[in-house]
Amino acid sequence: MAAASSSDSDCGRAESAQLFPSSPSNEASSKWLDAHYDPVANIHTFSSCLALADLHGDGEYKLVVGDLGPGGQHPRLKVLKGPTVLTESPLPALPAAAATFLMEQHEPRTPALALASGPCVYVYKNLRPYFKFSLPQLPPNPLEQDLWNQAKEDRIDPLTLKEMLEGIREKAEVPLSVQSLRFLQLELREMEAFVSQHKSKSIKRQTVITTMTTLKKNLADEDAVSCLVLGTENKELLVLDPEAFIILAKMSLPSVPVFLDVSGQFDVEFRLAAACRNGNIYILRRDSKRPKYCIELSAQPVGLVRVHKVLVVGSTQDSLHGFTHKGKKLWTVQMPAAILTMNLLEQHSRGLQAVMAGLANGEVRIYRDKTLLNVIRTPDAVTSLCFGRYGREDNTLIMTTRGGGLIIKILKRTAVFVEGGGEAGPPPAQALKLNVPRKTRLYVDQTLREREAGTAMHRTFQTDLYLLRLRTARAYVQALESSLNPVSVTAREPLKLHAVDWRDSDGYGTRKKTVCFSNCGQPGG
Amino acid sequence: MIWDTRNSTYTFTAQEFPILEKQNWLIHLHYIRKDYEACKAVIKEQLQETQGLCEYAIYVQALIFRLEGNIQESLELFQTCAVLSPQCADNLKQVARSLFLLGKHKAAIEVYNEAAKLNQTDWEICHNLGVCYIYLKQFKKAQEQLHNALHLNRHDLTYIMLGKIHLLEGDLDKAIEIYKKAVEFSPENTELLTTLGLLYLQLGIYQKAFEHLGNALTYDPTNYKAILAAGSMMQTHGDFDVALTKYRVVACAVPESPPLWNNIGMCFFGKKKYVAAISCLKRANYLAPFDWKILYNLGLVHLTMQQYASAFHFLSAAINFQPKMGELYMLLAVALTNLEDPENAKRAYAEAIRLDKCNPLVNLNYAVLLYNQGEKQGALAQYQEMEKKVHLLQDSSSLEFDAEMVDMAQKLGAALQVGEALVWTKPVKDTKSKHRTTSTSKAASLQQPLGSNQALGQAMSSAAAYGKLPSGAGGTSHLTKPPSLPLEPQPTVEAHPNEASAQIREK
Repeated sequence: MAAASSSDSDCGRAESAQLFPSSPSNEASSKWLDAHYDPVANIHTFSSCLALADLHGDGEYKLVVGDLGPGGQHPRLKVLKGPTVLTESPLPALPAAAATFLMEQHEPRTPALALASGPCVYVYKNLRPYFKFSLPQLPPNPLEQDLWNQAKEDRIDPLTLKEMLEGIREKAEVPLSVQSLRFLQLELREMEAFVSQHKSKSIKRQTVITTMTTLKKNLADEDAVSCLVLGTENKELLVLDPEAFIILAKMSLPSVPVFLDVSGQFDVEFRLAAACRNGNIYILRRDSKRPKYCIELSAQPVGLVRVHKVLVVGSTQDSLHGFTHKGKKLWTVQMPAAILTMNLLEQHSRGLQAVMAGLANGEVRIYRDKTLLNVIRTPDAVTSLCFGRYGREDNTLIMTTRGGGLIIKILKRTAVFVEGGGEAGPPPAQALKLNVPRKTRLYVDQTLREREAGTAMHRTFQTDLYLLRLRTARAYVQALESSLNPVSVTAREPLKLHAVDWRDSDGYGTRKKTVCFSNCGQPGG
Repeated sequence: MIWDTRNSTYTFTAQEFPILEKQNWLIHLHYIRKDYEACKAVIKEQLQETQGLCEYAIYVQALIFRLEGNIQESLELFQTCAVLSPQCADNLKQVARSLFLLGKHKAAIEVYNEAAKLNQTDWEICHNLGVCYIYLKQFKKAQEQLHNALHLNRHDLTYIMLGKIHLLEGDLDKAIEIYKKAVEFSPENTELLTTLGLLYLQLGIYQKAFEHLGNALTYDPTNYKAILAAGSMMQTHGDFDVALTKYRVVACAVPESPPLWNNIGMCFFGKKKYVAAISCLKRANYLAPFDWKILYNLGLVHLTMQQYASAFHFLSAAINFQPKMGELYMLLAVALTNLEDPENAKRAYAEAIRLDKCNPLVNLNYAVLLYNQGEKQGALAQYQEMEKKVHLLQDSSSLEFDAEMVDMAQKLGAALQVGEALVWTKPVKDTKSKHRTTSTSKAASLQQPLGSNQALGQAMSSAAAYGKLPSGAGGTSHLTKPPSLPLEPQPTVEAHPNEASAQIREK
């Protein structure tokens, strides 16, 4: 039905995808309106680089996309209004995350846009560059610094420098700078030139941002001022002040954060969950410089979403896990395919929070806890998705696909998600009939014959078997006597003679063939 | 508007030395999405830019190599990583993992031990050490390491490995203990539930077995192992239709599973659809020609179908694969009796008695044959032997015996004592015609002209009928009995392990 009522002419392929003859998709099509489908929108991005916000303060929500470009070659910032691209501007480096947040209390309350890329956060207001925050330089290793200072004053020759630096690399806690690492790779003859070229520079260690999210400063309101929370490659979490862009808090993790989820307010109390590259999820609270709880997944997390108080984690083992905020496992749901991306679905009007997961088989599944609410089938695997207010429509689902397509769906205002909206009950295979092999007329006739003359058949068979054995034995003896028997070339691989009798189709030995073959190449013993 | 100036200075320095970790996040995101092509492209670019210094890029490249099966190459790359940052336990762990996958368990253990020095609180190191020791058959050390791992952090995988050690050592009780703890820790893990269910099944604790298998099926209604095991339990209780419905799911998922088609065949056998039963069993036999249980069942069904010649072939094939099972010889004897070869039948019975020390059915059938052959002395001896076994069984367990068997035994007893065939032929007819299958009803109709010969035929066919009983259990199913009665004296105990072991071997 929804496919027919679709408002856009471009969605032919989406429609055909909706017409798959299985019940979940029919169910899905009754809940969603297809607003837009462009298979060649040329958007390649991750869920973390999608954001919806009223950027101009005109009540018309825009979609912000930090686009990596095809093959990650031409990063761009795109802002979409409805189905069209409003503005598009090139970015200096690949965007790792995009977020919109309110910087201050002043009217008009237009949110700022933050784009994390490399070691910087670019902040835009009114879609104009406003501020660039750079991560502070990391302190260099003092020993290394000392060595380079000596080199600067020519008190140390390159070879000793190399030895000393290698010593530091073996043991030190603080890793070496790029300059030193490069130096260690050089051949002997190149060292001199390298040292003279670089000795005057102070050594630098810079890290990059891997993930970013927002955290309300001191009010829980929808439109409260928020801080930016950054995860960095040197295993740290930073909270930035929204106005001054100074680091308010710094926390360290045992591994590099990949996904972040924050709840609460910075000034009051907050809980921070960080999914890390070592497959663990660390949970921190205000005032804790180190993780308070740890969830070990034994697989890589592919998404982290908090639904009310439950942390939902998708893992590379194609499953969703639910955890309490203290890290206790609540449930596990197995997915039919690999999870590509996850995000939160929040329907304010009905107070519903659910998890959306884009799967490699072209499905988007919506779960509330472990119950499947809805399945959306898409023509291509969805690689990023977000849900929220778009344009003037409250409940819009935005998806981008692996091939760079863009799908926009609107949740019908009458739609209610009920449990069992997806798959429930026995698996569909249970309704299929068993494929029992049929028996032929010949078989039945043979059965009847055997019943009548079973004894005779048995006797004939046994007699023939004896005769066969006798004949084989005779042939064997004859072969031995006339020295015609095959002889093994090596003693380690003796020859074996096998006599095999073949029964024909009815299996009762009425007709027989004698097959006698020799089996060579058998390992001895 | 400090933007532009800053930006340009930044790019100036960046040209000199690019940040090594610049695109690690992108590599990781592509990697966890399993988009390996895109991942490799980024890695290549990153390694070119940093002249091979980006450790994480090498690390992920090695992981992808390993996933693609190039373990040796992955090992070399991980070793490069370990050189780039020697203090990182993770790199050593991966080196060890690759060594482990290459089958170099001893080398893997050494590297793991080194990694353990760098990171003492990593469950994964302990777990993998344990697994290496399992492969080296050093179960004590393996257990120690796995318990360490559990102590650091509990994971389902560690429990499974610990359970496996106990199973390898043949200690079912301990294995059950471990799996119980595991299920407590992770109540929704279907693999744990299924394994625990199967272990209970093996021990004959059916209530608990069914409970756990049922749980496994609630969480995953398509679990192959759980469905087969639960289905076989339903079959022993006579719920053939339910079992068949469950099997449909498996037939869709694993259409070439020999145990599945064996069980389906025995379901049809229970429902007295013999032709379908034979079709399914023959398919099972086609899929697993060396499985004696399928051959056993085929022999049994053919006996029921009065195809004694075929039954003989299947049973003798089964005996070739499993020469240590008394019941097979007994069935063979029944087939031979019907093929009018009493001499060989007697030899088969003798073998059956030699192998099977506690099944009274063997002696009873033998006694019937001897009696019919006119060897009353021999029959009496067998009869007494049977009584002995019955007493023994009654003492050791509260199992009830099959009503038919008791009935037959009583009649034979009466016949032996009185020495008159006429005395027991009549009641036999009554009990027979009630619920005998094709084979016996025909015999009953033959009984009209009374005489010793007919009586003999009668007894023989009934012996054939009894022959079915143990196998009904031994194979997979049984006929026409209410589920509450635990009928078969000895076979029940043995039958289910067959079942379970059939499943376990599937692993």
